[in-house]
Amino acid sequence: MSDTASKLATSGRLRVAVCAVDLLRRTALSRVVAEAGHIVVGAQDTADVVLADGDCLPGETRPVVTLGGADYDLPGVLSRHAGARQIDAAIRAVSAGLIVRLPDATDTGFGAMRETDGHALLTPREHEVLATLAEGLTNKAIARRLDISLHTVKFHVESLFRKLGARTRTEAVAKASERRRHEMITL
Amino acid sequence: MTDQADPLAQFSNALATRAELAKSAVVAIRLAHERHITGMVWQPGIVVASEQSLPRKDDFELVAAGGSVLTARIAGRDPSTNIAILRLAEQVAAPSIAAGEAHTGAVVLAIGADGTGGASARLGLVNLAGAEWHSSRGGLIDRRIVLDVSLARREEGGPVFDAAGACLGMSTFGPRGQVIAIPTATIERIVPLLLKDGRIARGWLGVALQAVAVPDALRETADQSSGLMVMSVVEDGPAAQAGIVAGDIILSVDGTSTHRLRNIARYFGAGSIGRKADLRLIRSGTVITVQTTIAERRAA
Repeated sequence: MSDTASKLATSGRLRVAVCAVDLLRRTALSRVVAEAGHIVVGAQDTADVVLADGDCLPGETRPVVTLGGADYDLPGVLSRHAGARQIDAAIRAVSAGLIVRLPDATDTGFGAMRETDGHALLTPREHEVLATLAEGLTNKAIARRLDISLHTVKFHVESLFRKLGARTRTEAVAKASERRRHEMITL
Repeated sequence: MTDQADPLAQFSNALATRAELAKSAVVAIRLAHERHITGMVWQPGIVVASEQSLPRKDDFELVAAGGSVLTARIAGRDPSTNIAILRLAEQVAAPSIAAGEAHTGAVVLAIGADGTGGASARLGLVNLAGAEWHSSRGGLIDRRIVLDVSLARREEGGPVFDAAGACLGMSTFGPRGQVIAIPTATIERIVPLLLKDGRIARGWLGVALQAVAVPDALRETADQSSGLMVMSVVEDGPAAQAGIVAGDIILSVDGTSTHRLRNIARYFGAGSIGRKADLRLIRSGTVITVQTTIAERRAA
């Protein structure tokens, strides 16, 4: 069996370095990688594959799977919204020396600065509540953490759902994380 | 001859002639895995390419008209306008490029490099010609030019010609696979700056920001409904030195409100570097003013 085939065939665990500036995003991606049965290692550790949220550092020599990165020369290029199955498949394929591309890259591209929609903007408090939702906290635990009443927590969570157009807590976290990637600006 | 009189045949012949002529205006920029993208021969020895699709490395192999393989080195890149330039190791003659004005509905011919020294051609329309716009990376693009042209990845970065043979700009991909052109006027503006400095200087605070609603209780004091919340601070950056911390909500920079992002993008142009700026911000429920010195953005 060739090296490529044997790597693909093994149900073996790969060492995956997860690189994401956004903590929320890094936590989510690390979870996806771990749930697919791989081992999450530190950004600088020896790794079979690097999973980068957006662009990876220049001069990266390990095989990289990028989620929405601009460098099409990398072995693995997925969309920012790639699901767990795609990420797992891409990690395995790239570690085996294959290249991974989307049939039609849809969400990359040189776009306009988006002016923010005032009505849907989250308040600082809602951002705090969102961070606790991302940790999987219950309303009770959130109330304790932020030192506010259970009633207030419910109020904020409902407001988050409305502004983000989400029906579940998981969906709210996912949509907020996507929005942050689009709206984050660096000065 | 009946052929000569047939308008469709004339149209077709005219297009084929243009495509043949355009061969000398493009080069293939080789990527890994036998792929390539297109570059535009902009002036002798200088090739313009789409920044977003150009790998982050210094040296490239190019295939010029006729199939000769040349080496080129990156001479500058500007993500804010999606323009990168490569300097060829040897002189290559550049076709003269006349800048054209985009009009909605006008016929366009988009040219790509085929990778072996020839050209590939795409026919379409200017789907939309609009006003200037700001990219998500803060650059000013002189016109909005959306094309009704299908484009392959390998053709991105080639010239887009109008019916008169004038160049409307460089083809590239916008969001959701949309094909757009970076206007010739923008390239004319950016290339000399890149040739001089290798980059477009921009002001820098060293913060990542996200728009947030100003809490109701502070709206009157803040006098605006939204601001930019500091999500992270770059160590040793100007903001860090001024004591800015994550969670601060920046309301204005030197009187320029952060409510409109494009105004802020404009403020942080090259002229802002070294300027002492007053940041008006909300910290733990009160509006305060912090002074900082704007530095120059580090290379990406």
